[in-house]
Amino acid sequence: MRTEARFAPGDWYAVVGDSVTVLLPVSQRARVAALWDLADSGAAADALLDALLAGGLSSLDHFALVAHDDDATRLIVRGAPTATVSSTGGQEVVAAAPGTTWAEQVTTGVTSVRVTLAGEGSADHPLTAGVARVSVVEYGTPSTSAPATSSGASAGAPAADPRPEAAEAAADPGPEVAAAPRPEPAAPMQFGAPGDDDPTPTGETPVVEDDWSDRDGQTQAGAPRADFDRPPIPGQEVAPDVVPQPVASLVFSTGDVVAVDRTVLVGRAPEARRFASHDQPHVVTVPSPHQEISSTHLEIRPGAGADHGSAIATDLGSTNGTVVAQPGLDAEDLKPGIAVSLIPGAVLDLGDGVTIQVTNP
Amino acid sequence: MLDVDLHHGASTDVGLVRKVNEDSYLVAPPVFVVADGMGGHSGGDVASQMVVEEFERLAESYDPARGAELVADAFARAQARIVDYGDAHRAMQPGWHAGTTAVVAVLVVDDGTTKWLLANLGDSRIYRIVDGRLEQVSVDHSVVQELIDSGHITAEEASVHPERHVITRALGSPEGIHPDFFLLPIGSVERLLLCSDGVTGMIEDAEIEQILESVADPRDAADALVRAAVAAGGRDNATAVVVDVVGLVKDATYDSQRQLESLESKLGGRQ
Repeated sequence: MRTEARFAPGDWYAVVGDSVTVLLPVSQRARVAALWDLADSGAAADALLDALLAGGLSSLDHFALVAHDDDATRLIVRGAPTATVSSTGGQEVVAAAPGTTWAEQVTTGVTSVRVTLAGEGSADHPLTAGVARVSVVEYGTPSTSAPATSSGASAGAPAADPRPEAAEAAADPGPEVAAAPRPEPAAPMQFGAPGDDDPTPTGETPVVEDDWSDRDGQTQAGAPRADFDRPPIPGQEVAPDVVPQPVASLVFSTGDVVAVDRTVLVGRAPEARRFASHDQPHVVTVPSPHQEISSTHLEIRPGAGADHGSAIATDLGSTNGTVVAQPGLDAEDLKPGIAVSLIPGAVLDLGDGVTIQVTNP
Repeated sequence: MLDVDLHHGASTDVGLVRKVNEDSYLVAPPVFVVADGMGGHSGGDVASQMVVEEFERLAESYDPARGAELVADAFARAQARIVDYGDAHRAMQPGWHAGTTAVVAVLVVDDGTTKWLLANLGDSRIYRIVDGRLEQVSVDHSVVQELIDSGHITAEEASVHPERHVITRALGSPEGIHPDFFLLPIGSVERLLLCSDGVTGMIEDAEIEQILESVADPRDAADALVRAAVAAGGRDNATAVVVDVVGLVKDATYDSQRQLESLESKLGGRQ
């Protein structure tokens, strides 16, 4: 069969190698990178299955694996996914019965496979090697260009039907939905004016909306990738950008007084990076004639979680360090990158005679 | 502020493969913009031009004390226009889309001193020369950058990753825009480069650094960068804007004191 593949965008991860695809729910994100490493290096289905199961089955409620070789297609389905396999021998639905470990099937002469993970989206984005966020994956001959000969159920939906999914649901309730006709692919994306045949072999493809498609046939559109945002430090709540009431005041030996209602960056020539327009940090420049203070030396910001309501200070990897003296405690060096909660009366020493006293707001 | 003298140069080229130059740029000191449009003829070129027009409006009545707010407003106006433009086209041609990246550099006054405020949406880039070295300031809004950040791939793997052209933020996105801002002391930027990925996708950072270090005139430097990108294959529109801060004495108190002492010792003065 042709292994041309398509997908509908969704939450699931599709790790797509040359001959093997592993489909994982969003909760299994941690396994995706290792699997992609393997799939990309051309690992066989068994190697991928090994890696998938290395973390144990108990935490892996749902997955699907599709492997193609020259004449056979192997399918493993655990939990929610269902697969519809059309072959010269007819059409079958592969799904794990409740209570079983998984359903596995090897089929020869396959003409098309549709794996439904969530919803009944129309799979009209090309799926190429890589990692994608999907809800439905389809392999093989698109139903529209060459309907499977073996089964009437897989004949193409009427092209004029504006709502193929609704029609399907009404006609084939229950498990038959998986075997129902595939929806027509949507009209191809058009960029620019009609007749514009800009060859455009490179270029960006925003993934900010499902149907922003690429123009070079290589890249692919996907769902927004909120899950790929830089993960917060485990066990630490994400700090609020700006708090309505300052949690502390900073009295600088230079005479500056700065309220901690947002991030405060202190240094000889401080730089603020990657902030949004509404949370621009306070940037406090302090003199350092002997260059003892680093350009961006210290960060002080409102705490979150256990530190809510107080200011927390972090040395940003300064060359000469920061000393903090909290009332009733011995002075100590701040460890670079480790936040320390400040209590009123604390004094921070940055070097070159610059100190910051922490007071109530 | 604006006692700072800025020299600048800009250059753009359609490249060797594409028919339309969808990049646009603005040099209206102290406002500089590069935008890389997506969507083809009368799509991407219009979207990137809309960004430039909104920043032109900003430059006409610019108040450096309100820099961040004004830049955010200009982004919001550009976003609204591009979305409206897209909606109008989609009414006739379903599935039609236009969008654009943007990188912006403006001088602002923050806490009484002049600083660079930089902003980024998408995978166009802002670099600076600091202490004689090239440093990328902006962080791409792209799938591969997120994979790098999360430790899944290295920067080398990113350059050949299948999703290297997929960006996660852009003007024209119906999801809304979330530009990243950067605030840098003016003394920490010896030379600033704003460019589209038609430059960075074609030539290595080392070559960019070599050009920015060796070509003194910013106009020649911008030309040389774009020419190098086209010579390397020109697979995409390439645009570069180079800005030099002229006549800036870095850390005046420290340097002038040291220079004075050194001069006095050389002249055999106070010892």
